[in-house]
Amino acid sequence: MKIITILFQIVFIHLFLFLGAGVKALIPIPIPASMIGLLLLFLALCLKMVKLEWVEQGGNWLIAELLLFFVPSAVGIVNYDEMLSWQGFSTVLIIGISTFIVMGTTAFIADKIMIRKERDTQ
Amino acid sequence: MSIIFFIFVTSLLYMLAKAGYKRIPLPIFHPLLLSPILIIVLISLLHVSADQYLDSASLLTHMLGPATVAFAIPIYKHLPVLKKYIGTIVTSITIGTLVAIFSSFLLSLLMHLNNQFLVSVLPRSITTPIAIEVSKDIGGIPTLTTVFVILTGIIGGIIGPAVIKRFSIKSTIAKGLALGTSAHGVGTNKAMEYGEQAATFSTLAMIFAASLTVLWGKFLIPMLVSFIG
Repeated sequence: MKIITILFQIVFIHLFLFLGAGVKALIPIPIPASMIGLLLLFLALCLKMVKLEWVEQGGNWLIAELLLFFVPSAVGIVNYDEMLSWQGFSTVLIIGISTFIVMGTTAFIADKIMIRKERDTQ
Repeated sequence: MSIIFFIFVTSLLYMLAKAGYKRIPLPIFHPLLLSPILIIVLISLLHVSADQYLDSASLLTHMLGPATVAFAIPIYKHLPVLKKYIGTIVTSITIGTLVAIFSSFLLSLLMHLNNQFLVSVLPRSITTPIAIEVSKDIGGIPTLTTVFVILTGIIGGIIGPAVIKRFSIKSTIAKGLALGTSAHGVGTNKAMEYGEQAATFSTLAMIFAASLTVLWGKFLIPMLVSFIG
């Protein structure tokens, strides 16, 4: 039964994706349809036009299994011969170092602000 | 027929990798590393080209769309906390996205990447569908950007816990913000291990970082790119 609920809710969530695509077709904004769909679903939830129970199970499943949807694109890496060259190796190294720096900086700054906030409230 | 077969096989290998990674959290067992490797081996044994496979499994890639929409749910559920910490969120993510672009740019210059790779690597830290848009905007190659986004996710998911430990990050909110800003959806997936609050802030970071990067793509990145001619 749970699977059927999840399936129906995923179909329902698609409605917002299509609405997002519709908005994008009407107004040429440089935001992907899925992002507009996110905003629309968020607004619909805030305005109580959509109840949380209508989308929660399906939405949670989509978010929990997100990595699965990246797998085919990751397989697609084999289409890029350049990735096996020196350029490709350098790029992987750059991505690794940069990701480390971004994660470290963001975490460090957010943590410092949070600590100060806690101290202020005490 | 091949559609059902490849979606089934991809899901099965993904679930196996996920279960394996839970028991033995070695980087090589990361589901986004192990399952693609197994699939690449499988399709070469079956003499199926990567394009044929991608075509058959396109339904899975398509699900990234509704999955992005679904991120409205945790944001809605945690709206009061988000309002409370809006200052922390905006400050850390703004700096995070700028660091992502500048560090990628400088490292690419240092390592003498060719212009094609350099431009395509700049929007790599944000979620795929939006990274593609930014890549088009700044004159990169969207498919190459997709590859770099995935690599960022894999690396971010693997190094995440170590970075959090190394910088001795205490606040759950900071953990979430860092994972979402640096490694988009894959980081958010990792943030779920630190609880629902971390996942929510990671989601918000992912969305906010993507929107900001669209903005940087309009004026900041073109300025950087004009330097290299």
